[in-house]
Amino acid sequence: MEEKPCVVIIGGGVAGMQASLDLADRGLKVYLVEKSPSIGGRMAQLDKTFPTLDCSICILAPKMIECFRHPNITLLTYSEVEDVSGSAGNFTVKIVRKPRFVNETKCTGCGTCTQKCPVVKPSEFDMLLGNRKAIYMPFPQAVPRIATIDKDNCLYFTRGVCKICQKLCQADAVDFEQEPEEVVLNVSAIIVATGFNLYNASLISEYGYRRYENVLTSLEFERLVSASGPTGGHITRPSDEKIPKKIAFIQCVGSRGLGRGVAYCSSACCMYATKEAILIKEHEPESEVFIFYIDLRASGKGFQDFINRAKENWGVQYIRGRPGEIVEDPRTKDLIILFEQTVSREVGGLKVDMVVLCPAFIPSETNRKLSEVLGVKLDEYDFFKAKDSLLAPVDTDVLGVFICGCCQGPKDIPESVVQASAAAARAAEVITLTARKET
Amino acid sequence: MSNKIGNSSSGSFQATKISRELSKRSIDAEKLAYCYTCGTCTAACPVVRVFPRHFNPRIFFQKLSLDLENILTETGLWLCAMCDRCHKRCPHELKLPEIFSLLRKLTIEQGYLPDVPSKLEETLAILREEIPFPVVYGWLCLRPCEEETKRSKFDNLVLGVLQRSLANYKKKEVTPLPKTHRERIAIIGSGPAGLTVAWELLRMGFPVTVFEALSEPGGMLRVGIPEYRLPKYVLDTEIEYIKDLGVEIRTNTAVGKVLSFNDLLKEEEYKAIFIATGAHKSRKLRVEGEDMEGIFHALDLLRQVNLRKRPKLGKRVVVIGGGNVAMDGARTALRLGAEVVQLACLESREEMPAHEWEIREALMEGVDLNVSWGPKEILGDGEKVTGVKFVRCVSVFDENGRFNPSFDETVTKVLEGDTVILAIGQAPDLSFLREKTDVLGGRAIAVDPMTMETSLPGVFAGGDAVSGPATLIEAVAAGKIAAASIDRYLRGVSP
Repeated sequence: MEEKPCVVIIGGGVAGMQASLDLADRGLKVYLVEKSPSIGGRMAQLDKTFPTLDCSICILAPKMIECFRHPNITLLTYSEVEDVSGSAGNFTVKIVRKPRFVNETKCTGCGTCTQKCPVVKPSEFDMLLGNRKAIYMPFPQAVPRIATIDKDNCLYFTRGVCKICQKLCQADAVDFEQEPEEVVLNVSAIIVATGFNLYNASLISEYGYRRYENVLTSLEFERLVSASGPTGGHITRPSDEKIPKKIAFIQCVGSRGLGRGVAYCSSACCMYATKEAILIKEHEPESEVFIFYIDLRASGKGFQDFINRAKENWGVQYIRGRPGEIVEDPRTKDLIILFEQTVSREVGGLKVDMVVLCPAFIPSETNRKLSEVLGVKLDEYDFFKAKDSLLAPVDTDVLGVFICGCCQGPKDIPESVVQASAAAARAAEVITLTARKET
Repeated sequence: MSNKIGNSSSGSFQATKISRELSKRSIDAEKLAYCYTCGTCTAACPVVRVFPRHFNPRIFFQKLSLDLENILTETGLWLCAMCDRCHKRCPHELKLPEIFSLLRKLTIEQGYLPDVPSKLEETLAILREEIPFPVVYGWLCLRPCEEETKRSKFDNLVLGVLQRSLANYKKKEVTPLPKTHRERIAIIGSGPAGLTVAWELLRMGFPVTVFEALSEPGGMLRVGIPEYRLPKYVLDTEIEYIKDLGVEIRTNTAVGKVLSFNDLLKEEEYKAIFIATGAHKSRKLRVEGEDMEGIFHALDLLRQVNLRKRPKLGKRVVVIGGGNVAMDGARTALRLGAEVVQLACLESREEMPAHEWEIREALMEGVDLNVSWGPKEILGDGEKVTGVKFVRCVSVFDENGRFNPSFDETVTKVLEGDTVILAIGQAPDLSFLREKTDVLGGRAIAVDPMTMETSLPGVFAGGDAVSGPATLIEAVAAGKIAAASIDRYLRGVSP
């Protein structure tokens, strides 16, 4: 029987999903491997996207559903790639499916178990601002809509008690005996799309992240402003849940430095800070929003216009000057930003209710292991290295393994999608070439 | 780094010569080229807060790459207080204070500036406008070496200017400043923060009384900084001047002992209080054997020596700590007659918080450096110290950048000695407040950062008592903000 050529795609964010759909639509078989319980990635965490201000999950969810129901795509969520051998056209990929302790074919995603579970833990999807249970679905639009048990915090696994989820599950889907499952696939090509993390902003200690309650990172802010987030989309500040009237964004936290952090520019932050500033103005037109920047990087189509509109139509105030320090007023938990307005040479302190830091984009922590498993080189920052940045920008030096999205370097959503389609095209090309050789 | 501006051949020759000198003395000129004028250095700089019209590090370094020669004529070159905040906060961690220091030395030694004494006097005049002790300040920032045998051209020139300035104090009759207000302000502590507030308020016409617990005024300027870094006669001259202007300093009057803080609060006479008690309490090590004979806390040792008592040290000294106080303690031990001084600290050589030049000078004087060691136990014969046992410190900070040292207990080291000096941290002593005002985590006084007011109305605080141990210029900057804030408070003006 002739088998369809397969591709394994590692990472279920927007890049991984785009590549999956491109390949699946042209008749190739795709296995989309995602280490967390749901596909969606960072884009699912955002409220709106720049410069169009589309609702992020609204444009992403149809793609997520499509990945789920496409006859040529098999989702392997809560799974990781352990070993790869072989070569282009004939890779052997060993994938470990971590046990969810929930039977995937039986679970209906009704959510009763998550309501009744007594254990409350900070939610990773909500950047630890909101909570989830020990048995959980990471966010309302999660795909696949199957519960997962976090073994390290489940009362049954830690103390041998509870099992309420099993008692209440009407589909009899909870299975505490589930074991990790090994899946071995023979594939023709591999695409890596492992995305990014944010630099640990507490290392820029003078900005007070994790010391001052009202200093947040941009992803934390996205969860606050998202309707599916911990505050239902109301921008309230952590210390007292009051609505902040003065908010400041600080750009280049850990980026563009030969000292702490990374030396490169993270590419998307000037734009997303502008977007978040506009969102604040949409929520609270009377609020004052400040963006402390060094340069404003607006390189895409419509980007400069977006920033101009933020200034002129929305009244967002841009101050050129990277702050020296943030000090907290211990009584009110307000924050004072010490800065130089480099255009006018004025040195001052600005009191605000909340600060949002824009930390550097750094690679996923899985890249190191994957680079060994795949035999693909990493650059000095642990991003995957392209074979040639001009002539073969989505190839790696291992034929048949391709990269796309932020795992290659910081970029925005449109650029990730473009690279994903490029990687899919290259993967399809390699499949055609290697298949021809065999016949 | 080459100078592209300037047609005169001698002009560009000078600039290239300076660039070569800087590179030769290991200034990372290439790294300086990456500066994108973000402004963080200026934003973090306390000197800018005090002298906004005369000092701007960002612009100084912009000019450095554009017109190397002419910036040597700027007074800004001499105003850097070497507090190092710009270096720590710069995205590239550019060693800006080191560049200032090197440029200063080059300017004098190579004769790039025709009349350096005038420039220094100009600088002192600028300092005098804003701070009450310009010569003390200049002495600490320029660090001239007084020892005749070791003096360089730089030291001679700087000392000349500073000594002449000191002599001027004795020449004129000082008339006390007029009091135009009736409200008297009480200031607790006669260190740099307290003296700055006192002088500022006096200049505004307010009568002030400074309460000082010790027998002599000056705070850390007197009891923390050793004689070889700041001679007492310099400090005495400038404090006398401040007293002659009309600042009343009551020594041997500890608030909390001679009079309680409560009493001070209730005193009708004082319409506002400024707390500037500094950070004079030594952190305890909390290991076995800490109370044996032969163990000193560096702050206590320095205080005794600076108040002209002669504590008895042994011959083999072990100093524990990696900061400036540890360096001061180690070098003071040598001057007290110790034969061997060995210093051990948690940090690696690069992580040590002490100023680079302090470490260099300590090493040159013969202090033996042992880095990345954590004290496990102080060894003794039951009464007296015989040494300290250390374990290898693997890391000082955790992945969140917090102080959280981790050790490898299998790697040990013993430093033998009959004296141990502990310099592992300072904290404010806030017991005199008896919880009358909010205190952050029990470690520092909580203030509104804009007004410097504590949770008690009319009671303000600043300096090390608020920030924890910091530098002279930061105490001065805090004092100026506080004085302006107290003035607004007394006039009923909202901040």
